[in-house]
Amino acid sequence: MENIKLMLVDDEERFLTTTKKLLTKKGMTVLTAASGGEALELLESNPVQVIILDVKMPGMDGVTVLREIKSRFPLTEVIMLTGHASVDSAIDGLKAGAFDYLTKPCDVEILIDKVSQAYEKWRLHEKKISEALFRKSMMTPRAILKEMEEETGE
Amino acid sequence: MPQNNKNHYQKLKKRILAAMILVPAVPFILVLLIGYRYFTTTLEENARFRMSRMAEDHGLAIETFLNERRTDLKLLANTYQFQQLSRPEVLKSAFTHLTEKSPAFFDLGVFDEQGTQVAYQGPFELAGRDYAKAKWFLEVKKSGYYVSDVFLGFRRIPHFVIAVVKREEGASWIIRATIDTGQFSSLVEKVKIGKTGEAYIVNQEGLLQTQRLSGPGLLEVDPWAARYLNQTGSGARTPADPEDQTRFIWATARLNDGKWLLVVRQAEKDAFEALRSMTYLVILVTVFGGVLIIGLALYTTTHIIKRMEAADQEKDRLGQQLVVAGRLAEVGEMSAGFAHEVNNPLQIISSEQNLARTTLDEMLETGEVSPGENLKEVVDCIDQIKIQVDRCGKITRALLKFARQTEPAVELIDMNEFIPTAVSLVANKAKISDIGIKQELPQETLEVKGDPGQMQQVLVNMINNAIDAVDSRKPAEGGLIKVAARADSGRALISITDNGSGISPENIEKIFTPFFTTKPVGEGTGLGLPICFGIVDQMGGSLEVESQEGRGTTITINLPAA
Repeated sequence: MENIKLMLVDDEERFLTTTKKLLTKKGMTVLTAASGGEALELLESNPVQVIILDVKMPGMDGVTVLREIKSRFPLTEVIMLTGHASVDSAIDGLKAGAFDYLTKPCDVEILIDKVSQAYEKWRLHEKKISEALFRKSMMTPRAILKEMEEETGE
Repeated sequence: MPQNNKNHYQKLKKRILAAMILVPAVPFILVLLIGYRYFTTTLEENARFRMSRMAEDHGLAIETFLNERRTDLKLLANTYQFQQLSRPEVLKSAFTHLTEKSPAFFDLGVFDEQGTQVAYQGPFELAGRDYAKAKWFLEVKKSGYYVSDVFLGFRRIPHFVIAVVKREEGASWIIRATIDTGQFSSLVEKVKIGKTGEAYIVNQEGLLQTQRLSGPGLLEVDPWAARYLNQTGSGARTPADPEDQTRFIWATARLNDGKWLLVVRQAEKDAFEALRSMTYLVILVTVFGGVLIIGLALYTTTHIIKRMEAADQEKDRLGQQLVVAGRLAEVGEMSAGFAHEVNNPLQIISSEQNLARTTLDEMLETGEVSPGENLKEVVDCIDQIKIQVDRCGKITRALLKFARQTEPAVELIDMNEFIPTAVSLVANKAKISDIGIKQELPQETLEVKGDPGQMQQVLVNMINNAIDAVDSRKPAEGGLIKVAARADSGRALISITDNGSGISPENIEKIFTPFFTTKPVGEGTGLGLPICFGIVDQMGGSLEVESQEGRGTTITINLPAA
């Protein structure tokens, strides 16, 4: 838990500060953004592992922000938070690559639980990538050449 | 309102009934009246015409008879000389010759200018008698031809005489014959029209010259004669008989140079006998037709009014359903916005509560606060906030579900599969409450079109409500819920019957109103039935509720069968 770097995106200022305090208490590193634009800007300089994203916000709406995040930071896991029990927008979110969705009002315990799951997924993913990188670095120069040939040959 | 309606239908009924009776009755009665009038006029005219014709024809026949007899005598006078005919044997052969021609000749006599009968052929010994002063002799000498009135001869047989004068150089002579009236009067006496129709002849004094069928006999005075004597021809109506009020229609013809009057008459009642039966027939037809028209009008009107009442009721019911559906849609839209807006602050409260609780725990750990009654109170308060926020969350979630406008995934749902599945979902809950669920499934396949998920939501909701109702009454006979499905003229009726607490009449109107609930605070959102109503309404169906407080409830889901 200690290592989780998380970003909260919501237009409710008080929700951001309080939740940040709570999650910080749990040992996470928490960034906050009051809008989609701000979140994307912040991500450029501060990559995170998990993002909690409100679906309905003024300006850029949640699903658009989600698509943007997924295209620019594909490894980042996003949990959608919706004030609307409408499953339709949640499904849109899931289709666009969200990890899961939660409906407001959502218990902080559940939120933390979901964040842990998302982090776990990120971690596994990250592990796979480093393993792959490791394997690649362990290959003989001949193997590398062969692989390159195969790639260009196609 | 129901009273008003009743009056309205009564008024309407009267109006339709009046129209339905009058419209056919007026032409019907008119046709009858015109027909009757036409018929009676024709009948009367016919009767009169028949009378006139009869008088004319018989008059003509009698005139002919008289003329023939006169011609007979004239021929005789022209054929023979006075001296010839004065000889009895010549007269006899002439008489025989005459009777061969007409059996009506009774006797024959020849008279000289002084009135002495010089020869006679007949049953009596009249030769040589002097008739110089006799009325007939004077008359015939004056006009050359004479027909007497009828008289009863020596033998009490009605006769009349015909005499002709033969004028010769120097002296004239006369032939006289007695005519038996038998043949002649049978011409009129034979006449019989209906029961009272008759014909007879009277002379100028009103004495009957022929036998009359009714009333006075031959040569008696006809009491009616005075009325006809001065009139001729047409068949008028007589004034009523002072004695028996009989009226006659009659016709007359003058005979024998106006000395006789042929009367043909018939009692009006008799002549118009057909008229009377026609009248009866008309009355019968009127009564029968009237009864038929009224009966038919009554039947049709009752039928129409019944249909109208049913249609109006159906209209009212549909109207109410539309109002409910419209209200629900409005409430749904509003509550969706409301729920969404409330969820954000709820989320904040939830976070705040969590932070407060976490912080308090930390303070307790670090010794910043010490345990005690006050702290317990604060912790209780903070925990209560969480409970209430959860409760609010439940309500807003239900609201959003209620308002959800998702397109249903329509499939064919077979009741024989669907009902057992839905029942199995709640079977456990029912078992815990010791309630039996009985299923009555249709014999044949019964399908409806709808979203199986939504349908399940509806049925499960209904059965849950039924379980709650049974639970709250705890019937002595044991709880029982019956879920039945049946087809009824193109509809699928799924009914859920329980023997639970029932719904009071004042509540039954509100059960589809959002947030209306009789359950304890916090247990029901009051959105279950409105949601079901919305789903069923979208499927083109309706929900019908019948309930008796303290006895149980039946909810019927009425859907179009697929």
